[in-house]
Amino acid sequence: MSTSSEHVGAERDLILALDAGGTMTDAILVKPDGTFTVGKSISRREDQALSYYESVADAAQMIGLDAETVHRRCAADIYCGTGMLNSVLTGDGRKVGLVVTRGFEDITVMEGGLTYLGQSQAEGLHQQLHRHTRQLVDPRNVVSVSERMGGGCYQGNIHLPAGHTLIPVNERQVREGVNKLLDQGCEVIGILFIYSFVDPRHEHQARDIARQEIAKRGVEVPVVCSADVAPVAKENNRLKSLLFQCFAAEQVRESLLDVERRARGLGFSGRLLTLLSYGGAVNMEYPRLYETMISGPIGGLIGAQFVASQLGLDNVVTADMGGTSFDVGLLVDGRMGIARSADIAGHRLALPMVELDSVGSGAGSVVWVDEYKRLHVGPDSAGARVGICHEFDRLTVTDINVALGYVDPDYFLGGHIKLDRERALAALKEAVADPLGLDVYEAGAGVLAIVNAEMNDLLRTMVAAKGYDTRDFTLLYYGGAGPVHMYGFAEGIPFKDVITLPWAAGFSAFGAACAEYMHRYDRGLRVLVPARADTAELAATATEVDRAWRELEAEARAEMAAEGIDPDKVRFRYGVAMRYIGQIESFDTALASGDMRGPEDIRAMVEAFETMYSKVYPEGAKFSGAGYSLTEVSIEAIAPKPQPRLARHALAGSEPAAQARVGTREVYHQDAWVTFAVYEMKELTAGNVVHGPAIIRDPMTTVVVPPGHEMAFDEHLILHYRASAATH
Amino acid sequence: MATIAREAVPHDPARREQRQPTLREMIAERDRLTAETGHYYGVTELSLRDSDPIRYERFYSKLHAAVLAARESARFVAASPGSREMGECLWGIATPEGDTLAVSLGFLSHTVIFPTSIRYMADNDYDVNDGIEDGDVYAVSDGLTGGVPHPGDFYSFVPICIDGEIVAWAIGINHLMENGAPVAGSWATFSVDTFMDGLVCPPMRTGRKLKQESWWKAIWERRTRAATMNILDDKMRLAGCAMILKATHELIDEFGIEYYKRAIREVIEESRRMVVDNMRATLVPGTYNGCAFRLVKYEGLQNVWSHANKNTLIHVRGSVEPNENGLLLDAEGSSRWGYHSYNATPGGVDCAVFLGMINSFSHNTKVTAGIDLAVQRNYPKGSIYNPDNEYTSNANLWAQTVALNSIGFGAVNRAMFARGYLEEVFTVDGNWGAFQGAGTTADGTNYGFTNFEWLGGTGRGAWCYKDGEPLVWAAWSQMATIGDAEEFESTVPPLFYLGRKLLPGYFGYGRYRGGPGNSAVHWCVQPGRHVALTRPNGGLSCTPSVGIGMSGAYPGPGSFMISARGTNLDDLIAEGETPRDARELLAQVEAGALKVKNLEIWKTDCPELALKDNDLFVDAAGSSGGWGDPLERDPRLVIADLDSGICPDYEFVSNMHGVVAHRHDDGHWELDEDATRAKRALLREARLEESMPVENWWLAERARVERRDFAPEVNEMYAQSLSFAKFRTEFTRFWQLPGDFSFGEAEV
Repeated sequence: MSTSSEHVGAERDLILALDAGGTMTDAILVKPDGTFTVGKSISRREDQALSYYESVADAAQMIGLDAETVHRRCAADIYCGTGMLNSVLTGDGRKVGLVVTRGFEDITVMEGGLTYLGQSQAEGLHQQLHRHTRQLVDPRNVVSVSERMGGGCYQGNIHLPAGHTLIPVNERQVREGVNKLLDQGCEVIGILFIYSFVDPRHEHQARDIARQEIAKRGVEVPVVCSADVAPVAKENNRLKSLLFQCFAAEQVRESLLDVERRARGLGFSGRLLTLLSYGGAVNMEYPRLYETMISGPIGGLIGAQFVASQLGLDNVVTADMGGTSFDVGLLVDGRMGIARSADIAGHRLALPMVELDSVGSGAGSVVWVDEYKRLHVGPDSAGARVGICHEFDRLTVTDINVALGYVDPDYFLGGHIKLDRERALAALKEAVADPLGLDVYEAGAGVLAIVNAEMNDLLRTMVAAKGYDTRDFTLLYYGGAGPVHMYGFAEGIPFKDVITLPWAAGFSAFGAACAEYMHRYDRGLRVLVPARADTAELAATATEVDRAWRELEAEARAEMAAEGIDPDKVRFRYGVAMRYIGQIESFDTALASGDMRGPEDIRAMVEAFETMYSKVYPEGAKFSGAGYSLTEVSIEAIAPKPQPRLARHALAGSEPAAQARVGTREVYHQDAWVTFAVYEMKELTAGNVVHGPAIIRDPMTTVVVPPGHEMAFDEHLILHYRASAATH
Repeated sequence: MATIAREAVPHDPARREQRQPTLREMIAERDRLTAETGHYYGVTELSLRDSDPIRYERFYSKLHAAVLAARESARFVAASPGSREMGECLWGIATPEGDTLAVSLGFLSHTVIFPTSIRYMADNDYDVNDGIEDGDVYAVSDGLTGGVPHPGDFYSFVPICIDGEIVAWAIGINHLMENGAPVAGSWATFSVDTFMDGLVCPPMRTGRKLKQESWWKAIWERRTRAATMNILDDKMRLAGCAMILKATHELIDEFGIEYYKRAIREVIEESRRMVVDNMRATLVPGTYNGCAFRLVKYEGLQNVWSHANKNTLIHVRGSVEPNENGLLLDAEGSSRWGYHSYNATPGGVDCAVFLGMINSFSHNTKVTAGIDLAVQRNYPKGSIYNPDNEYTSNANLWAQTVALNSIGFGAVNRAMFARGYLEEVFTVDGNWGAFQGAGTTADGTNYGFTNFEWLGGTGRGAWCYKDGEPLVWAAWSQMATIGDAEEFESTVPPLFYLGRKLLPGYFGYGRYRGGPGNSAVHWCVQPGRHVALTRPNGGLSCTPSVGIGMSGAYPGPGSFMISARGTNLDDLIAEGETPRDARELLAQVEAGALKVKNLEIWKTDCPELALKDNDLFVDAAGSSGGWGDPLERDPRLVIADLDSGICPDYEFVSNMHGVVAHRHDDGHWELDEDATRAKRALLREARLEESMPVENWWLAERARVERRDFAPEVNEMYAQSLSFAKFRTEFTRFWQLPGDFSFGEAEV
């Protein structure tokens, strides 16, 4: 196989990446020669350290090592779990006490009225289904304090300035409230004041008083401020970030530290890392640990970032087709798009998150026809039960791939699982072909056409909606089903290149091993740049932005130092959130540098914003005459971390070795039976070209090369998909 | 399909020889074919769907994806929180005749009024003189010619043309923060005719090639008080339309124009059939009547316009009758139009009544004009829903049309309940409110504003098996959200929140209670030269029928507002005891803690309220009704409500539910079961003593009717309603009166 990791030292030449799912804990062990093995264990919520150990030990024994040896030789150890999400979903978190601005006592019950999150349009329309989510705090454990701070107004400096104290913090009420919460047994206290993102001093004042009261009692109850967790506008989103941090993160931190202790006890000498929802890795001391809540889909994008950097690719579209969904992400100039809020389990958080667009069609998606002869794919999914050809009771996309011949029923997971093709065919006939009056194979091909087309649309619109041209992008596809369907979802879209890797099925986990050590910091601002701002105004703005960035840098260095990172080795990326004055939404604008010395730097920043905006929206949507509002500054602080590296291989001839070709298979492809040659992935080498119609089989996936196309293996064993140069 | 002006197609001279039907002819053809066959556009067979269902679904999937993507991308251009945050916007694609093919998320019921603008443009030969071209931009905000509910809603129409033919319309809509009427804000309360409604645009071309003309910006700047917001919202609508236009061209390139032309007809006919099936499957046939009343208090406020200087009681009357083709919604018997801002046009009232219809019958179908065809409507000419005067104001129609929607939605719920769909049915409410206004800061900066928060979410009425929930839905959008205080506050410089919360005890009581409504306290700080506001309401000055209780429960209480001007608020700030909601403010006033020079409780529309330093404006909205007899409420639920504070007044709930409880020192309540049983028995006896035989009641009331022994506003209301034959028949038959019985001449 194909990958290679960097030798970090004679003793530390392995990288571990674990994904602790609700059912199984998977360990990816990347070896010095680049190959990796996968270990598995049952996830034990009550003892994650044990699951961790068992999974690593399972991976280790496959290469003749034990867990202790692996840990002694481990250069980086990344652990992604669903503990926090499970905690939220099951209501099994800490008992939270909340201190809010007087008059906002019901904010946790009202939650902004947001009851449609995560719903399809059909579900949203059916308002009878709308419900509030499970609360993370008992309303009886919410107390209020008289205080008010003004946030300024969108028209600019025409009234009281942002950060103006309207009502000072009522210290008596803070003391009484905190003592009430302690009396009621609260285990953690959160503080949410209106406009604290503009200026946190009221929250910090209340925090300090709370700590005094807690100290008087001699107990240990953490106090967390919303301005420290998510210092951005919109109190409802900030509240949810605060509650996630209080309810779930602190509790999960303990179990993660248990895992780390176990790893260190086994000989690991570094810090256990976990992934942030916006990319990057942090260790378990990270203060805003709730930002690691969703890390599953992030791995693929991080892996793509890694591959892009290794191959010198600027712009990449990622396409991840797994069991339940098809997720598309973008890397532009090597950077991921970040959404400014995230909807998780019915909650909307002020959480930066890697921007992914999804459709609910994956390999396990259920295929069905309703009484109006409408064909549906999903949203139900078979998950690990594959389909009716295995352990599920309804027809799935994988069933159709088996029925039509794309997927070999005798080689699923390398033959460890035998699939029942006849059952799949019968189900296809009963569930789709007969209701629609079609031949069974035509029906199957039709379903795949629909599934592929839906993904094809998403790929096109995801790129086009951002104002980009697919010709400037390389498509990198992965996930267990990605290589099976690529011929369909990439069809007709003019990409610069279309690539995948032999280990596409495990790419997301592999990506976790590639994560940078990174923190992101955002700070809300209210700075206006009028359309006709004079030099003095621009200079003043530059000073303000410069100060904010420098403060964030200092904060980043301090936090990273506390996490054991050498501050001198921290480097930064810079960005701002801007909008036209009057707009309510800001747009993330990445900047080439953090230099902010004077008017020219502000003009460059405005230019970057206009360029970004023009890519997304038509000329008629621009409003430069209104001037600009700068609402947030952000930095990403990156520290060194051992990284894998793609190995180079000597190029062989284009003709695969004889032993690589293992046979042929009849496949009903699109509208006819076609004979596909079958190749074994592990027997293909750098330089080989596989001409379609062909299937490259692998225990974890199936690569479909349709007629008229070919798949070429480069020196890194990356598979390039292209139209055939010649007919074979 | 319709052509643009022939002169505008120089690149295809062959077309000059083939005269294609005009828009007017196409609409006539659609109407004829639909009427003759009972199927949309005469499509009796779904041939594309049946011959190749997979291609057909793929076609629609792409069409739908285009409008969904338009919204998800374009709304970020918006300035107003209503559009960006709260679903107060929508994008759609329609046939050349304006019939909806697909819509995004947002306030969906606007889909049914797309055809009105197109029909107006067709009737006035827009496509003939001076032509309609691909990427033109039309603005519409007029109720009469565009069907727009009220001028606060603004539409952008962008024609999509192939070789000179109009093949579709991309449409974007959103609710403006301010639309330049004499009364500042988004709903021009106290208008007496359309000329006071603000910026009212019949369909007019304002741009070409997906870009607005320069003069259009000047209109926003000179004719509205929130120009920047309105310009950005305009750009937002256009940005989404541009995406739909591009996607539609790509779709037609892929499928071919002939497939497209056939498929768009089939899609609508298919969804019509599904909607009708849904109605047949879920409703028990019959006639479901409902009524509501809304007070218009103009007397004394309209001294300049004497013809409008009177109070009016609007009779909102509706019935729903399921039939073979769907259902009939009949508003005959409702009041006639008047010189006030509460009139509607047929488009506007459609927009209201389809809220419940789409929610109930389209959620599992493609959302297209199919629902439009399945709901037959009767809005008699001359009524408040179809004025025979072209100058009527419709600025504040929602204040009464939400009642008609609640009647229709409630009727559907009753019919579903009768059929046994218990889990689908709840007490429907149409309560909403928003405050609006304008001001000038100390430095002379002018601004206008609307705070949409209580438009974005309300409590939901009770179900037959459980209590309603707080702030869980909004009848006009599937995307309930009240936005953020931090966003709304930043749009009104001198107003600051002192509270934004649920209002305890503010719901309809019953065996199961409604979800509580909401209350906010706004504090004026340094208002500068001037700030003033008004507050239109959908739950104000209404009979409780708007939030009708079910099966013996109480309805949700109406909205109200409080203005507290000239206060000692600084004293309360010093104590940390500022009022947090309407109930607490009134309690503080009663206790003497809050001193107010001018305290006013508004249960009718308030005039413009100018605010000074430390003045307070408080509102309460969004309550909902209960279900079932309050004496049948599980006493443990009453105790839970007392413990949680959702019911703050023991004496009140004890008498409401017949529950006796005792409060412990720690604040918790304990039920006294024996005393509760005894109290309930006493209350039931008292009910019997207060009641009378129906026959006696009928005789007494009939005598009163014969004497016309009602307030002048009620007599006038009946006079207006009796001018419609259907109501006259119902009324005179019920009271056994002569056919020519009269309350006098119906006057406007």
